[in-house]
Amino acid sequence: MVMAEGTAVLRQNRPGAKQYIQQNIRADCSNIDKILEPPEGQDEGVWNYEHLRQFCLELDGLAVKLQSECHPDTSHKTPKECPAIDYTRHTLDGAACFLNSSKYFPSRVSIKESSVAKLGSVCRRIYRIFSHAYFYHWQIFDDYENEIFLYHQFTKFVMKYNLMSKDNLIVPILEEVQNSGSGESEA
Amino acid sequence: MDEQAGPGVFFSNNHPAAGGAKGLGPLAEAAAAGDGAAAAGAARAQYSLPGILHFLQHEWARFEVERAQWEVERAELQAQIAFLQGERKGQENLKKDLVRRIKMLEYALKQERAKYHKLKYGTELNQGDMKPPSYDSDEGNETEVQPQQNSQLMWKQGRQLLRQYLQEVGYTDTILDVKSKRVRALLGFSSDVTDREDDKNQDSVINDSASVLDNFKFLESAAADFSDEDEDDDIDGREKSIIDTSTIVRKKVLPDSSEDRDTKEALKEFDFLVTSEEGDNDSRSAGDGTDWEKEDQCLIPEAWNVDQGVITKLKEQYKKERKGKKGVKRKTTEDLFQPLSYIKQSKQGYGRMKHQSTGPNRSKLQDMLANLRDVDELPSLQPSVGSPSRPSSSRLPEHEINRADEVEALTFPPSSGKSFIMGADEALESELGLGELAGLTVANEADSLTYDIANNKDALRKTWNPKFTLRSHFDGIRALAFHPTEPVLITASEDHTLKMWNLQKTAPAKKSTSLDVEPIYTFRAHKGPLLGHTDAVWGLAYSAAHQRLLSCSADGTLRLWNTTEVAPALSVFNDNQELGVPASVDLVSSDPSHMVASFSKGYTSIFNMETQQRILTLESNLDSTANSSCQINRVISHPTLPISITAHEDRHIKFYDNNTGKLIHSMVAHLEAVTSLAVDPNGLYLMSGSHDCSIRLWNLESKTCIQEFTFEESIHDVAFHPSKCYIASAGADALAKVFV
Repeated sequence: MVMAEGTAVLRQNRPGAKQYIQQNIRADCSNIDKILEPPEGQDEGVWNYEHLRQFCLELDGLAVKLQSECHPDTSHKTPKECPAIDYTRHTLDGAACFLNSSKYFPSRVSIKESSVAKLGSVCRRIYRIFSHAYFYHWQIFDDYENEIFLYHQFTKFVMKYNLMSKDNLIVPILEEVQNSGSGESEA
Repeated sequence: MDEQAGPGVFFSNNHPAAGGAKGLGPLAEAAAAGDGAAAAGAARAQYSLPGILHFLQHEWARFEVERAQWEVERAELQAQIAFLQGERKGQENLKKDLVRRIKMLEYALKQERAKYHKLKYGTELNQGDMKPPSYDSDEGNETEVQPQQNSQLMWKQGRQLLRQYLQEVGYTDTILDVKSKRVRALLGFSSDVTDREDDKNQDSVINDSASVLDNFKFLESAAADFSDEDEDDDIDGREKSIIDTSTIVRKKVLPDSSEDRDTKEALKEFDFLVTSEEGDNDSRSAGDGTDWEKEDQCLIPEAWNVDQGVITKLKEQYKKERKGKKGVKRKTTEDLFQPLSYIKQSKQGYGRMKHQSTGPNRSKLQDMLANLRDVDELPSLQPSVGSPSRPSSSRLPEHEINRADEVEALTFPPSSGKSFIMGADEALESELGLGELAGLTVANEADSLTYDIANNKDALRKTWNPKFTLRSHFDGIRALAFHPTEPVLITASEDHTLKMWNLQKTAPAKKSTSLDVEPIYTFRAHKGPLLGHTDAVWGLAYSAAHQRLLSCSADGTLRLWNTTEVAPALSVFNDNQELGVPASVDLVSSDPSHMVASFSKGYTSIFNMETQQRILTLESNLDSTANSSCQINRVISHPTLPISITAHEDRHIKFYDNNTGKLIHSMVAHLEAVTSLAVDPNGLYLMSGSHDCSIRLWNLESKTCIQEFTFEESIHDVAFHPSKCYIASAGADALAKVFV
């Protein structure tokens, strides 16, 4: 992995991976390819890790919006959906603990192989948050997506780095759809 | 994970897999089924599924915690058992050795007498058995000297006397006592202090016993050479560290003045040897001495030359042995009663040790250590029966921090009256709350006076040590606040979350000194209830006594709120005309109707909140050319004195008098802009954090820096705990560190 020099430099005065990602997002959050493209010499594990952190961060915003709507006493089709908000919260908490834990990620400039494998499971859980929001709180999902294109980013991200299998992506939004027409769905 | 199932189903199916291994799959489904059945009942409506889940999760977590605790206890008890067994074995070995030594001494004495007699009288002295003593006899046999038929009266008497003294010294008795005590300890009976009846005047010794601890630090370096020479081979599980601490316990180096009766008597015994043989010194030759040596197999390395030097050396050795033995006994009682005092006293005793160590020469050390190492102990500093707490600074391997305490989900209601106020991002509701929480204050003046003496002493302590690193935020932490009384910290971060941390329950860490603390609760809501500000809120100040909250915002206003109602602000101070944007605000501790605010343009002013007038502007050294560097990042009010302290972008910290507005003191505090300030509740120390990645502790009287910490990223906030001994720093690297 030719990351030693790259990350060493990144550590010093140049912005780290996190700053780079955030910069790109702020610049244009719909330009997903740019956001997902790692800079030269960037270690892929670190890149994935930092992206996941950013996703969790932004998903908090979605969770906040959801929690106003997703209450136990609002009418859902089946009671089994009520834990969704708790699931969301637990997942985000768990992801925060995991991604921040010094046991799995002792350093932010190099990621252990064993921890990289676990990134996939974190992605799967996060994906469920998206899918629940899409299927049950479509309006919120749509608004949020139009603002920051988070779902598009996330889907392309997991596809690009093979963190999840295609079969798991049940939300019927085509990855090729770039612009904010996230309402399209194919039956 | 079958995600091919429909969306409506997958949550319950995937609960087992998700949620961080909570293992609630079957329970969730059962609960869901139960809830579905009772969905119609209004009376059951309160049993919400999330509530059930929460409860179950709490119970489960609690069970896990208890189970972990039991495991820990069991491991501890097992360790205790092993330790005691080892001790017992060691005791037996020690006893064996001592007995062996006695036999050797006797044998040597016999030989000597035989030689002497032969030389003097030309005949063989019939002493009965002259064979070297067998080494594997037990305690009953050491005095198998038979009465001599043909000896002179003096010899006979001498022998008897020797034997008598040895018995009086009571080696065997003592060892028996020790053994019985050990067994009792193993069985859990508390050993009685009165068992030490054959420890004469040991009181002074008790005080010194702990000094032994550090005697052995010295000795262990000597012992390092001897470990190969150890002749004992049936010690199990002996480790270097164990030996070190064990020898610490075992040995007691008394000050030379306090010899006890036993020692004196025994040593007097040797005097007669000297006097009786003085006259014969010239008839002995060195050759005999060397010849003697070969036969002599006792541990005394020198020959049994009857000359004064050897006698004294032997005396000393005997003394040491006595003390060593006494140390054995000491151990059993103190071991049970004062396990922890050793550590504390060891530090003081170390100095005393140094001058005593010059006494014994190397061979003596050899002997003593060889003897003592035979005893196999684990660290004596095990917990006495039933004392569950031990200082976390314990050095011993057994007591590595192994508390499997996990964080219990505290429900810490944010609405409790005397707790905290969160800073709220005041972006308009239609916007996404991408702003940052920049200000967070907890101030409970009513409680700040509960500062007891213990804390005072700790506050006067010179150094703070890092204790926890709180990692859970995704982005830099902007603000910190401690709970007024509980050991709870809240951190606010650029990732739009607040996290609450319980500083007492910590997850076990590997070996690092900083422990990870899991956040108890993550607050995610960011739509603040305070309506009124139209832009980011930079700072807050809360007064519990008056139920008032002050906020300053990027929209240029300072607002005063009544915390009992969320209605519009009580008063607004609109100051963006002349003073710029208020960056920080604080209530003046010495005058409850005043507040002090600092502005981005470099001014600091005191306002009267009731008249809504600006009272005075604190003197500031501004000229038009230096505007950009004058931004004031933080202002705080001293808790007891009428002083305001400001942190500047130009690296300075300035102190102002509230009454006159004059600058009292100004100092360059950091290498870069100073971002945050905190004063300890006593008003003795100031802590400042800066973009230069360091925080510094200052003594407020002398205005000197007493400690500095350096981190990897710049520090955004620092805080003192109002009543406990914690300080915290918040960094741009999303880590909060807590120091004690």
